[in-house]
Amino acid sequence: MRPVLVMAAYSFRMFLRDRSALWWGILFPILLMGLIGDVFGKADRLSFDVSVVDRSGGTYVPATAIKEELRAVPVFQVREEPGDEALAALKDGKRSLVVVLPEAAATRPYTVQVFYDESRAQVSQAALAIVQRVVDQGNLRLAGAAPAVAVDARGTSTRRLGMFDFLLPGIMAMTLMQSGLMGVTWVVSTYREKLILKRVLTTPVPPAVFYAGLVARFTAVNLFQVAVIFLVATFAFHARTVGSLAALALLSIVGSVCFLGIGFAVSAVSRSAEAANNLGSLLNFPMMFLSGTFWPREMIPEALQPVVAALPLTPLVEAMRGVGARGEPLTDFLPGIAYLIAWGTAGFLVAARYFRWE
Amino acid sequence: MVAVHGVSFTVEEGEIFGLLGPNGAGKTTTLEMLEGLRRPDAGRAVVAGVDVVADPQGVKARIGVQLQQAGFFERLTVEETLRLFASFHRRAADVNALIARFNLGDKRKALIQNLSGGQQQRLSLALALLNDPQVVFLDEPTTGLDPQARRNLWEAIGRVRAEGKTVILTTHYMEEAEALCDRVAIMDRGRILAIDTPRALIRRYAPGAAISLRLDGDRAVLEGLPGVRRVEDRNGEVVLQTDAAQETLAAVMELTRGEGAELYHLSVREGTLEDVFLNLTGRSLRE
Repeated sequence: MRPVLVMAAYSFRMFLRDRSALWWGILFPILLMGLIGDVFGKADRLSFDVSVVDRSGGTYVPATAIKEELRAVPVFQVREEPGDEALAALKDGKRSLVVVLPEAAATRPYTVQVFYDESRAQVSQAALAIVQRVVDQGNLRLAGAAPAVAVDARGTSTRRLGMFDFLLPGIMAMTLMQSGLMGVTWVVSTYREKLILKRVLTTPVPPAVFYAGLVARFTAVNLFQVAVIFLVATFAFHARTVGSLAALALLSIVGSVCFLGIGFAVSAVSRSAEAANNLGSLLNFPMMFLSGTFWPREMIPEALQPVVAALPLTPLVEAMRGVGARGEPLTDFLPGIAYLIAWGTAGFLVAARYFRWE
Repeated sequence: MVAVHGVSFTVEEGEIFGLLGPNGAGKTTTLEMLEGLRRPDAGRAVVAGVDVVADPQGVKARIGVQLQQAGFFERLTVEETLRLFASFHRRAADVNALIARFNLGDKRKALIQNLSGGQQQRLSLALALLNDPQVVFLDEPTTGLDPQARRNLWEAIGRVRAEGKTVILTTHYMEEAEALCDRVAIMDRGRILAIDTPRALIRRYAPGAAISLRLDGDRAVLEGLPGVRRVEDRNGEVVLQTDAAQETLAAVMELTRGEGAELYHLSVREGTLEDVFLNLTGRSLRE
């Protein structure tokens, strides 16, 4: 046990003396989080500026009814303004939609015109869908039909999830993964390439103990990294975490050890440090973008969903987000965690099978 | 590929035993098998009373190893490196004493990457002595060092023997083997060709002397001189390998007087381990 602890303690000093490790492990995730949060945070607040141009002059009842319905939509900021001003504002990106209510209908049906910005398709489509729904409901009511089917939508969280609340667990999980796939692979294969591993093996310390020391080292470093990221996100970006911090720490340890196992496997099967680095990146990048770290996995195209489900980072992100941001119990995520542990175990087995010091 | 074949030798307690041979002779592979790092395909070796194949960890606990060109943890200091490796051993010598002994006192807090080659080599030797071993293995301990640093290291290795430890080293420098080793095994192409003290090897395999000279005139006549076994050309100088130095020298003098040939430079030296290797293999150590 002593070699493991000494190894972990000295390795931690090595980490603190390694600027590139500090950059990749701490600064890079924080910058990434800040950047993504800033860019997508606005869309996330899900508020649409809608202009209503009422050509009926407030005299036509259906027009007034629609206007009121639009006002009642919680995510719509509705304002009335003259047509040319509204269209100019739309062009400048200051409005999401411009809804034009014509004069009393000369023709049937009474046609509401909606202008949107084609270059901002996502925002426009979402807002359009809402307008469409408002009109549909209006039609039903005019026809006097009682709705046969209704949707009672309730958010699962008691409060709305902010962009940073959502991002923080994903970034923490990503950092754990990168430490395993990029950090460990580089360190371990460099130890082998520079014969440092061979030097260690001239002592009676068994390889497994040396590797246990590395696991302890990287896990300690990882906890330090995610703690720094957590504090920065909480105090600088105002990310809110509602769940148990102990559960988050436990998930961080499990994630850390599992990705270390995968990292050890990558370095064991790679010929050189360079090759290990390349293979690590090859696994790193798809996970970074497909595992739901930055955006909900539902946003990823259907064709890629099997890949998303197979990646070991996906269950870690889901568990950390569920526990951290939504305050769900850890036990809800046991199958996913078991899947991740299976990956980690496979990694350690492969690493042991292909272990060599030269 | 067979790196080492049918190698067999015994090292006495408290001696410095050298494996001398060119690069690729199988010296390092032989050491790695004795150190418990590499499992031999066949054969048996006992180090400090422990069977290497059956109990490599037991051997590692009793030996100290200095590796050729093995790296260090770059972001650790000298002292941290020693303390880390000390934790890998069950019993460890006093780190401070080792630092003092190898003159690393002012480098104690220096990162490894800021050490000179000689300092790194001294640290490497200190690491090999961390567990107060019975047997110390040194693989090419002075390769890449300047002459001064090499001499310092020879002294340090001599002190290791003085403590009663057994030293087994490899080298491809014949001066090193001659200066340092009690006994030397000449190794080439995975086999041991001869084992003995340097003096005895020279007496047996390079008994004569080498006379080198620079001569204007026909060289062919040199071959017929008394005692001459072989005539070689080394960097423009003619080297006569002779079994009877005195007679050959007299004949050379006679030659220059009689034929009017001009003699520029003349030196006589006794046989060396280099000559031993040459006579055993027909090739030079440096090839």
